[in-house]
Amino acid sequence: MKILVAVKQVAALEEDFEIRADGRGIDPDFLVRDLNEWDDFSLEEAVKIKEAATDPIEVVVVSVGPDEVDESLRKCLAKGADRAIRVWDDAVEGSDPVAIARILAAVAAHEAPDLLFAGVQSSDQSFAATGIATAGLLGWPHGAVVANLQYSPGAKSAVFRRELEGGLLHEVEIQCPAVLTIQAGINTPRYASLRSIKQAAARPIEVKSIADFRLDATQVGESGSLSRVRRMYVPEKGRAQLIEGSPAEQAARLAAIIREFKGVA
Amino acid sequence: MDAVTRILFEAFPTAEIRFFYAIGYTAIGIFGYGVYVQLRKYRRGAGLALEGGLWRRFGTMSASVLNHRTIARRDQAAGGAHRLIFYGFALLFLGTSTITLQYDILEPLFGIRFWNGAFYLWFSLVLDIAGVMLVAGLVFMMVRRGWMKLPKLDYARPDRNPGDPDFDRPQYRREDWAFLWILVIIGCTGYILEAARLVWLQDRPDVWDTRWWSPVGAAIAELMRVSGLTPAAGGALRHALWWFHGLIALVLIALIPWTKGKHIFTAAASLMVRDPLAAQRLPRIPDSQQLPGVTSITDFTWKQLLHLDACTKCGRCHDACPARTVGAPLSPRDVILSLRELANSTLQAATLPDVVALDAHGKAPGQVAMETLWSCRTCMACVEICPVAVEHVPIIVQMRRKLVEEGQMEPLLQKTLQTIAKSGNSFGESKRKRSAWTKALPFPVRDARKEPVDLLWFVGDYASFDPRNQKVSQTFATLLQEAGVDFGILHDGESNAGNDIRRVGEEGLYEMLATSNISALQSAQFNSIVTTDPHSFNTIRNEYPDFGGKFTIAHYTTTLEELLAAGRLQVTKPLGYRVTFHDPCHLGRFNKGYEAPRGILKAIGCELIEMGRCRANSFCCGAGGGRIWIPDPVGSEKPAQNRMREAAAIEGLEVYVVSCPKDLTMFEDALKTTGNEGKFVVKELIELVREAVAPPLAAPAPSVVTS
Repeated sequence: MKILVAVKQVAALEEDFEIRADGRGIDPDFLVRDLNEWDDFSLEEAVKIKEAATDPIEVVVVSVGPDEVDESLRKCLAKGADRAIRVWDDAVEGSDPVAIARILAAVAAHEAPDLLFAGVQSSDQSFAATGIATAGLLGWPHGAVVANLQYSPGAKSAVFRRELEGGLLHEVEIQCPAVLTIQAGINTPRYASLRSIKQAAARPIEVKSIADFRLDATQVGESGSLSRVRRMYVPEKGRAQLIEGSPAEQAARLAAIIREFKGVA
Repeated sequence: MDAVTRILFEAFPTAEIRFFYAIGYTAIGIFGYGVYVQLRKYRRGAGLALEGGLWRRFGTMSASVLNHRTIARRDQAAGGAHRLIFYGFALLFLGTSTITLQYDILEPLFGIRFWNGAFYLWFSLVLDIAGVMLVAGLVFMMVRRGWMKLPKLDYARPDRNPGDPDFDRPQYRREDWAFLWILVIIGCTGYILEAARLVWLQDRPDVWDTRWWSPVGAAIAELMRVSGLTPAAGGALRHALWWFHGLIALVLIALIPWTKGKHIFTAAASLMVRDPLAAQRLPRIPDSQQLPGVTSITDFTWKQLLHLDACTKCGRCHDACPARTVGAPLSPRDVILSLRELANSTLQAATLPDVVALDAHGKAPGQVAMETLWSCRTCMACVEICPVAVEHVPIIVQMRRKLVEEGQMEPLLQKTLQTIAKSGNSFGESKRKRSAWTKALPFPVRDARKEPVDLLWFVGDYASFDPRNQKVSQTFATLLQEAGVDFGILHDGESNAGNDIRRVGEEGLYEMLATSNISALQSAQFNSIVTTDPHSFNTIRNEYPDFGGKFTIAHYTTTLEELLAAGRLQVTKPLGYRVTFHDPCHLGRFNKGYEAPRGILKAIGCELIEMGRCRANSFCCGAGGGRIWIPDPVGSEKPAQNRMREAAAIEGLEVYVVSCPKDLTMFEDALKTTGNEGKFVVKELIELVREAVAPPLAAPAPSVVTS
């Protein structure tokens, strides 16, 4: 019995940041990297199932990304994952969510898990597409935005709940293997102490190339993507203006502005 | 004259003497076995090598025991009474031992007799006086327990509810009273026995003529004669009392290792193994240790198990604890007693029970609940006042380490730890904004990593990021600049110093922060460090050396006092304020920095009115041990509010002076929430110095930098 958890290392912005020279992203100098918030919950859900089970369950985390992603994978190992797989190839750069899903689907086909968990979305790009696209490519059923999960290890199906508008709950039974995208708040992710993360550093991370999963450069990256980011930018700010100076100066300036808008001389 | 000696077994048939010896050896046997059981209990704890020579330790311990300083602190009456009991008991014990020395050892083996003549007479006088001391001390203790109703002697626990099996532990009360009564009875029967003997032997001049060398016994003997006691009846009474007195004393000896009587040994041993930096310098986790911290009672070191046994339930830690004072579910006393109950019920048996029974965490009797552990501010008030050197703080932090490893903590604290791991500061700000506060200054603050400076200023998180404290930082920078001090900071090379992270129990994160700061400090060129943050001061001074970072560091109060004394800062406007001073835990209790801030207050012309709880007894603001990141329960009093009310009672108070960034935050808040705003103000000592030391030129007003 195996659960595969797809995770992503996301980038958070520092307060002051600069757009990359090509205008399609942020200068990496201004990014702080961490595990995607939703993935914390999906990993916790998998580890909880593992801990509650009597038979051994293997929790495998997989991520698509360069070396620095190892740091986040170690955190996953510290939190209870049994194995970690990282897939990378320079050709993957520029992939859209579906191209990433193609890699994850290949890994899933190889690992043959009973369940595949992904976060609902990533906090940096917010496509909310990768998990669902993976299900599509695998031809597996999927459940999106899962807020509660009941699954007995080894069972042929799982029951999950989703929150709908108007306070409605949607209870769904799904055949396994299945892909579930996990909503934040489904559980309380555990704390990985720095010590446990350090200890996890001694454990291996399986580094794979796309070729290991019989994919080639045309299936990933920009050439394997049907969508592409054109540009990233900050829209022009509104026209709010802070009036400085002593109260009297501020009042005078305010009066001048009002007069200007009213058109009084 | 030589015939004068102690009457021992006079008129006893041989069988009775033999019987007495049999009982005596049995009592000593039970005592010996008890000592073995206790030692075996301690040995079941984790190993620990003590630093420092045994003789030096023995010397300091003996001094503490003999002068009773630790027992008399903040409770002179109890200290005085205990002194009477201690010296009375010690003299009686030594005196009685010399009987054995001659009668059972020296005389039968070597024919040496010293226990007669003048020596005996003086001895009987000294022992009579010792008996009075003992009984007087005991009677005072009875009055204290029975009538004074001291809250610290109330065994009701703040971490349990009425009805819980271990809520107020009446067995402790019964034991206390039994112990007092047994000692009083031994003391009193000793006198009556002595008197009966005198009445019985009144016809023997060697006994009768020297009776006033035993003044108490002789006085009682006179009373007995007046009431018509005949020598024969005196003899019978002496015989009966002799057995009663002897048996009860032997029972007491046999029971010592099993009852509170053992504090005679455990308290002394605990003082001997005391670590003077117990709370200031927490232990590292040995590489060999699988799980961090303490899970089972056997994970405590033998030294800690010994400390548990030293506790005499005197309640001083219970009194001093800021968490207990505001009604949090923590009493340091009860943490110690709970763990002791657990140790006694599991580790005194011949074989160790199942590991489940050894678990020190939980809510069952003998266990410590996580709410209790998280209530601690690690302010060290308990460690500091404990008369027998119990070290509560490391015990609590070791238990927290296990909770942290399992993630059993407040979500907000967990988030803060993650934030610090990511950004190096508790504000979650970018590293490069750490020195943004310097931009408002009219002069650049040098980067000590790029150019050598004389004084390296370790700023700390609060002073770097908190808007109110940024103003203080700007003022301090200005003062240093005006005094012509060659100083610099680490800018974005500085991280949270880790003092509070370590006290939370996140040792891995602490190690990361400490090593990062140490390498940043080592990459800079400077002569010494100054810090405006007492928390950073403590860990850099006491804990960084364990990680290879040995630096000379001072708290800013020392630096400012020196600058004022040297005239590099001139007081041009003595302030004349009526102020009180709050000793920060980490500057005062932790590092004994009591004088410098007071020296500065004097130099700038303030009238200092001390609060009742000052210096070593200063009352924590509630922010220590990571509690600044854990919200206090709504509706209950916060330690800072308790403190504000204490300060507000000072008539005509104008300024409540602090010298710690966290104090400034906590007390400015408490000033408002206790409704004292407008009555007096909370100010950093730096701000007062600024006011009293006029700038050479009109200095531009520093402003808050938020972005």
